Amino acid sequence: MNTLTRRVATAGLLALLLIATVRTATADETCNSPYTARLIKGQEQFLHVWVLGVKGMGDGSDKLVTVDSDPKSKDYGKVIHTVSVGGRGEAHHMGFTDDRRYLWAGRLDDNKIFVFDVGSDPAKPALVRTIDNFESSSGYVGPHTFYATPGRVMIQGLSNSKDHGGVTGIAVYSNAGEFVAKYDMPTGKSAIGTGDGYGYDIGINPAKNVMLTSSFTGWTNYMMDLGTLIKDPEAMKNFGSTMALWDFKAMKPTQVFEVPGAPLEIRWNLAGGADWAITATALTSKLWLIKQDKDGKWQAKAVADIGDPSKIPLPVDISITADGKGLWVNTFMDGKTRYFDMTNPESPKQTYEIVSGKQVNMVSQSWDGKRVYLTSSLLANWDKKGADDEQFLRAYDWDGKQLTRKFELDFYALKLGRAHHMKFSAKPAQVAAADRAR
Amino acid sequence: MKAARIALLAILVIVPASGVLQTARAQDPVRRPVQDFVPPAAGSYRLPPIQDAGNGWVLEGNYFPRRLARYTHDAYTLLTFVYTYCSDPVGCPLAYSTLDAVKNGVVADQRLRGKVRLVCLSFDPTHDTPGAMQTYGGLNIRDTRVPWHFLTTYSMTTLAPILDGYGQDIEVVHDASGKATRARTHMLKMFLIDRQSRVREIYSAAFLQPEVILNDLRTLAMEDAAMQAR
Repeated sequence: MNTLTRRVATAGLLALLLIATVRTATADETCNSPYTARLIKGQEQFLHVWVLGVKGMGDGSDKLVTVDSDPKSKDYGKVIHTVSVGGRGEAHHMGFTDDRRYLWAGRLDDNKIFVFDVGSDPAKPALVRTIDNFESSSGYVGPHTFYATPGRVMIQGLSNSKDHGGVTGIAVYSNAGEFVAKYDMPTGKSAIGTGDGYGYDIGINPAKNVMLTSSFTGWTNYMMDLGTLIKDPEAMKNFGSTMALWDFKAMKPTQVFEVPGAPLEIRWNLAGGADWAITATALTSKLWLIKQDKDGKWQAKAVADIGDPSKIPLPVDISITADGKGLWVNTFMDGKTRYFDMTNPESPKQTYEIVSGKQVNMVSQSWDGKRVYLTSSLLANWDKKGADDEQFLRAYDWDGKQLTRKFELDFYALKLGRAHHMKFSAKPAQVAAADRAR
Repeated sequence: MKAARIALLAILVIVPASGVLQTARAQDPVRRPVQDFVPPAAGSYRLPPIQDAGNGWVLEGNYFPRRLARYTHDAYTLLTFVYTYCSDPVGCPLAYSTLDAVKNGVVADQRLRGKVRLVCLSFDPTHDTPGAMQTYGGLNIRDTRVPWHFLTTYSMTTLAPILDGYGQDIEVVHDASGKATRARTHMLKMFLIDRQSRVREIYSAAFLQPEVILNDLRTLAMEDAAMQAR
């Protein structure tokens, strides 16, 4: 090998080494924990959908459904794999471990947590563990949000085993599935504000060492028929109206914000050190901004209406773009998917909307924002009835002006069940490293 | 020969080892995570045990087998997995640089001096021989102020159960023809292990901040002091 050849070979090897090592992502497909690795910046190959089983439909069981989402594949837009977990327990949300090898999926009714190996072969996830001590170890009920931290998964509960109300907390498990610790949501009046004890989502900003939590409602309400619930004034009082800011390292709440109307999903914008977060309130239909003021104190304030709040469109899932300049918002009752321009987070502007279904809940977008996926189910007893009970996965392309549908899967026609949470995966060769870490 | 020993001793005494290393690694591309906060005070928070420290057979300096457990008890241990030719700015060079900064902090803190151990264990037993790891460790190996061990293993067969025990992922990168390269993909993790061989904190690239790690070490020291006082 001559000198030039050796230099070229060395340079090539160094370049290979530089791109090879996986880095911690700032955000993963825009909404996952910042501690999640193996960011998919290119084409997501597989879409995993956590599905609620329906009695008498197929095997009737909750299941993880894998859909081929690669347009170049012969199976594009088709269900390529299912894993039934047995029974129906109100399948709801999922989350990856920090190394993205495993996908944890929870059930809000029986509190079971299913761990799927998606690292070995993402086309064929395998159930490798079932965790059934969430309630007995923590006293919490309704494992909702699964949020990766290094070597651990934080699980936000929705309720508790004592009264099935909304007072709850966060349980921490090791990646191996062992219970580590529990942290109650702040309750009562104190120097940090007045906590209601409710919980829903988790969002961490590592650079600021802050964690935000939001609030929903307890088992009694989320397992109740929605029509019955709405007509019950006492039950309607039992919704969260706070967000809490935590010292993440110390796992101690430091501030409680009044955010009326059940603030749900939390999305941090970490692009360019902007360090603000956004949430949507389900019952009051508003976007709320959480941001530091000029004195460095964190503040929460309503910055936009979502549709006509008086009609209770019921905002559910939101998805922020990677650059923090756009936000998708689904509203369940009117079945609309809306896009907000977030260039000025103090004053978001809706720039686009379509009726995407008779009911619509979750929204996930690719890292580049060019592909958007929607699913339909909210909760088994909250989904609409009769012909309005559409259950689907719909995939779209987004060109910045309009959504163009690419494929649709009717989950009832396929005898799968109610389509809820989605997560992306890809084979290792398709996985790109994050370009920065914070 | 005697003169050479005296010269080496002089270097060790006059020049802080980490300073030499930092100079030698000045070219290393390290990208530290942003830390826009004041860490909570040591002892003001808990570090619940996460898991037991992993064990297995390792090598240090030669081919005599040793149990990894001997490096993970009776001191506050920071253990991380590296490979010597890793050049990722948020990978192994960041881990090394962070440990170097922690070492300086330990040396400067009477509460921690003599209580902390650092361990780097190679991902790549094929290329990172015991000798290669000693070279990688440089003068840090001989600096007795903070023991710093540079370990490897016989083979992937002996390394694999250790990686599994810590939940540390690793994949060999293949080239376009499917041939294995020397490159590895892995998620940078650093494990804080207490005197009873329990993992008490796990840091990844987004949270690898020396100031935070030093406070975690002080928190464990305060916890032990409180236990002994009872």
